[in-house]
Formats: sequence, C-alpha cells, structure tokens
Amino acid sequence: MDNLAVTQPKPAPATRGKRSPFYWIGRVLTYAILIIGALIFIFPFFWMISNSLMTLGETITRQLLPKVPQWSNYADAWNQAKFSKYFLNSVLITLGTLAGLLFTSILAGYAFGRIDFKGKNILFGLFLATMMIPESVTLIPNYLLIRGSILPIPGGTWLNKYWSLTVPFIANAFSIFLLRQFFAQIPKELWDAARIDGADHLRFLIQVVLPISKAPVMTVLLFGFTGSWNAFQWPLLVTTNDTWRPIMVGLWSFVNEAGPQTHLLMAGAVISLIPILIIYFLTQKQFTQGIATTGLKG
Amino acid sequence: MTEATLGVKPPKTGSTLHTLRTKEQITGYLFVLPALIVILVFGLFPIGYSLYMSLFNWRVTKGAYVGGRNYLLIFGTWTNLLITLAGIALIVAAFWIWSNAFSSLSNRKTIAKVVAAAVLIVGGVVFVTGWGYMFESGNQNFLKSLIVTTYYAVGTVPAEVIIGMILAFLLYQDIVGKDIFRMMYFLPYVTPSVTSAVVFQIIFSLRETSIANMVIGWFGISPQRWRFEQRPLLNLLGVDISGFLAGPSLALVSIMLYGIWSFVGYNTVIFLAGLGNIPKETYEAAEIDGATKAQMFRHITMPLLSPTTFYLTLIGFIGTFKAFNHIYVLRTPSAGDSVITSSLLIFDNFYKANQYGVATAQAIVLFVVILGLTLAQNKLMGERVFYG
Repeated sequence: MDNLAVTQPKPAPATRGKRSPFYWIGRVLTYAILIIGALIFIFPFFWMISNSLMTLGETITRQLLPKVPQWSNYADAWNQAKFSKYFLNSVLITLGTLAGLLFTSILAGYAFGRIDFKGKNILFGLFLATMMIPESVTLIPNYLLIRGSILPIPGGTWLNKYWSLTVPFIANAFSIFLLRQFFAQIPKELWDAARIDGADHLRFLIQVVLPISKAPVMTVLLFGFTGSWNAFQWPLLVTTNDTWRPIMVGLWSFVNEAGPQTHLLMAGAVISLIPILIIYFLTQKQFTQGIATTGLKG
Repeated sequence: MTEATLGVKPPKTGSTLHTLRTKEQITGYLFVLPALIVILVFGLFPIGYSLYMSLFNWRVTKGAYVGGRNYLLIFGTWTNLLITLAGIALIVAAFWIWSNAFSSLSNRKTIAKVVAAAVLIVGGVVFVTGWGYMFESGNQNFLKSLIVTTYYAVGTVPAEVIIGMILAFLLYQDIVGKDIFRMMYFLPYVTPSVTSAVVFQIIFSLRETSIANMVIGWFGISPQRWRFEQRPLLNLLGVDISGFLAGPSLALVSIMLYGIWSFVGYNTVIFLAGLGNIPKETYEAAEIDGATKAQMFRHITMPLLSPTTFYLTLIGFIGTFKAFNHIYVLRTPSAGDSVITSSLLIFDNFYKANQYGVATAQAIVLFVVILGLTLAQNKLMGERVFYG
C-alpha cells in the first residue's frame, strides 16, 4: 500500500569538519545550475502576469514591469473576450467528466484488482493498449460518431452539446490502471472478514476499500481535472459556437479574433491557468508523487 | 483454492461453489461494463472504423471503395514501400547480427561486426533509395511531415532526458529548498499547453524587442524571425546544406525549445523518484571500497536508473509523435510546412480539406510508425536496461 509514498531522499548526515575547496565549488555550481534552471522555468509565468497588467503600448516596447498595473485588463478579458462564459463551460465539463470518470474507473479498477473473471487479463491488456493509440487515429471516427453519422444517437447530433465534451472522457485506461494497482494490494484478510459479515463486493468496495483509498482516488481526480481543463484538440473539433466552448478553445479563438491585444490575451491566459495553479499548489505533493509512482509503474 | 471457498457458508456441494463462482464472474463483468462500453466505443471501435474509412474515397460522406489507393497516394507505388521496408529489415538484421556477436566466440566477434556493418550500410542505402522513390512519386507533404516529426522527436527527447537527469541528480543532493525547486520545475508540465504556448508566442515573436531576440542580443546575435522563419537553423548559422540534412527550421527549433521547457520537469520528477529507489547501502558500500563520486555515478546511479531512462525515452518518443496542441498554437503560416508534424497534417487534411479517407490512411501509417518505434526501442534499449 505504500506505493504512493515516494521514498523521500533523506539528507546525508552532515559531516562536520574541513571540506575541500572542491566541495564548495561543487556546492556553488550546483546551486547556480538549479537557480538558473528555476529562473528559466518560471520566467514565462512572470512574463505572462507582467504583460497581463501592462497597457498595449508597454507590451510592444518590452517593459519588464508595468508602470501602473492595469487591473482592468482582467475585467476586459473576462467580459469582452467572454472568458466568463468559457470558464463556466470548462467548470461544468470538468465536473461532469470527473463524476463519470470516478464511477467507471473505481468499479473497473476494483474488478481488475480484486475479482476473478474469465478474460480479465485480455480485457485489461486491451484497455492498456488504448494508451498507446495516437489521437489522430481515433479523432475522425469519433467525430463522425458524435455527429450521428455512423449510428443514430440520442438527440440526432452531439455537435455543440455537453455530451460530446464529457462522455468520451468518462473512462480511461490510465485511471483504471492506477486504481487497480492500489486495490490489488489491499490485504485479502479485509475481504475475508467482510465476507464473513455478509458483505458483497459492492459493499466492501464502498465501506472498506474507498475510505482507505483517498490517495489514489485523489490522484485520479487530479489527472482527470487537468486532462479535462487542458483539453483542446477535441473541443476545437466539436464546438463550432460558444454554447459549450471550453476555456482553451476560447483562448485560442481569442488569439485569432482579437489581433495583437497582447495585454488582454495574457490576462486571458492567466485566467485559464488559475484553477490549475490553485489545485497544483494545494495538492503539490500528491501530484508529483502520483506522477512519479504511476509513471514508473507504467 | 480460490477465495470463493472462504465464503460465509462452507460449501456443502459442488453446485454452491459453482453458483458462488458464477456470481463472482457476473459481478466482475458488471463492474467493468461501464468503462468497457466507453473504451470500446471511443477507444477501440474508432481504430477499426479508421481502417475501414481509409479504404474509401471518403470526403465528409462515404464515397466509392478505392481499396489501397489512399495508401498508394502516400507511398507512390507498393514497390517503393517494399524497398523502404526491406531497408528497415536489413538495418534490424544488422543490429541482430551485432548483438549476437557479443554472445558468440571472441574470434567470431570481429567477423560478425564487419558483417553487421556491411549489412547496416546496405540497409541504409536501400532504405534511403526506397524513401527517395516514395518521395518522388508519393505524398511529399505527408512524408515531409514524418521527417519534421522525427526532427522534433530527436531534437527534444534526448535533451529532455539528459537535462531531467542532471537536474534530478543535483536536486537529490542535500539541497536547501528542494521542494520549492521541484515545484517550480514541474510547473510548466501541469500548465495547460495552450496557455503556455500562447505565452511562448510572444516570447518567440519576430519583434526586435521580443524576449528571444533580447537573449540572443546578449551574445551579439542579430534579431531573428523565430516562429516565422522557415529557413533551417544551420543555414542561418552559415552552414550551406540543403535538403533534409540541413535539419529543422528555426521555427521548429522554437517549438522544440518550448517542448523541452514544458517537459523537463516531468522527467526530473520521475528521475527523482528513481533515485529515491536506489538503496543508500549501495553507495555506502562503494564509498568503503574507495569509489569516487564520478565512478559511483557511472557504475551505480546510471545502471540503476536505466529502467527510468528507458521509460522516459519511450514515452517521450511516443509523446512527440502524438504531439498536437502546442505545435498547433505555435505554428505560423510563414513557417510553411517546416513545422507541420504528422499529427498536424492529418488534422488539417481532415478538418480543413475534408479529406477523411486520405487522413485516416495517414493516421494509420502514423500509428504503425509509432508501433514500430516502440518495438524497436524495446528491443534496442530494453535489452540493455538493468532491472535491479
């Protein structure tokens, strides 16, 4: 069960006494590289925020910081560029996707991890194989599918509908795999005890397994959240108007429609980033650890 | 015995056990069903349907059955494809001979190596010939997009892996503020690619005052057109080469820099986890034996990290061949086809040109290329990976 706790490197015991000059040169170099690296990683964020508070003129002449922060840029982006609409759309799409994702992947992860049924391994392999398929292959048939061109679907077409942005994403092999790994490690004694008390799989899952599975479920939620919030290619295809256009497509259409309004564009970019930033800073440990363990086991 | 025997009531007859087992089976299928439906419909069915579509003259709506013509449009003739594939087969054979040489007797090693080298050269020539024929009579746009994709992959993945490893190794030392560094390095990876690509649009803009031009200005280099420059970087540096050997355009290099920026943090985090899994005792033992830091890195860290390195290289390559969002946002019309990777070209053929049949055929070829690369990497690197 400790597979979600990445072994944290313990600092080596500080050896007191004389250090060679090479040691200090090494230390200085190490910090220099780390700090330069950090500056490069962080600079675009600084630039985005700084530009979002500039006047249009300042963005062109390349000031490092705005003379007077133009907070009104955010209001303009929010209203004029309809970021309010896109933002709300994305929130609703993400919530719907996450609800479905939790439902399908907890059940499937449990079945693959703890129930014996015929063809389990083949099915699981098939699921995993879908992780390697490039979107280019699935994109076109899926487009025809949600347009109702292959089979009749409820509502005639899902173009510009909520369902086209959520339903295809309410199950993915990655989440199932992640939960399966965790569920499979839960001691068998717990299940035996629950069975003696007359519990079936569903009750065992809800009353025993889920309460101790907060960490992997959180990880699934986090990845589901970023995946849904960051989605671009598919929504670009299936939203031809603003009704359900999510934030990333909104940002992109703003780039094309607004022309060189860098300050507003950057304000929009900041708005599109805020939810991700909040989630990331709140759950930072979970996030990096989740990615490290799942990454390694993939 | 399965867990069914540990049931509430001890099974008196075989049939009770049987019912229990059947019930278990049904529960299993029921639990998998919701996910199965979604993955079947939106993940697996489309592959089959893509294959089907690629056999038709499909433009928005289904047209006449054309067999392999959409594929022929890519390769020119089947002979071209066969020659190219034969070239690849020879190259694979060369690697096979080479690796078998190490397991055979030492005096045969040299012979095997010479043979392998000869086969490799022949394979290379055959491959290049086949490719040349395909390029002459096939779909140049698509073939060029494969080359652009390869540039992009080769230009980013090794850099990402190496920088990620260095940063992880440095961070693994006794560093003050380690968590803060890690958090900052990882930030670009969690940032939505459209958001960060929009910022990089300005960083790599052709304005003289853009950040990219400011930075090269520190080194006394005159302002460049970055995302808008379709001339190869090497030509801009004064090297006079034309054709594929000239390498990626400056526009593609800009996109590569973005790719490296956004992905290094992921590699760093995974490498850090990998380093954390190396037992401390190994280093202590080596220290007692008088190993230097460099020796320890070379003979302990590198081999024990090799599964991580392998994994990151593999998903890095798959990722670059699938990459879409940031390239789509960062491309400019004036960079022309020098930044059009295969996934972009397929999308354009479908979305803009409505060539559904052609696009699905190209998508399937891309899929096969990715599969081939994965297999090759598994074979090539997989055997050298040291799994503790």
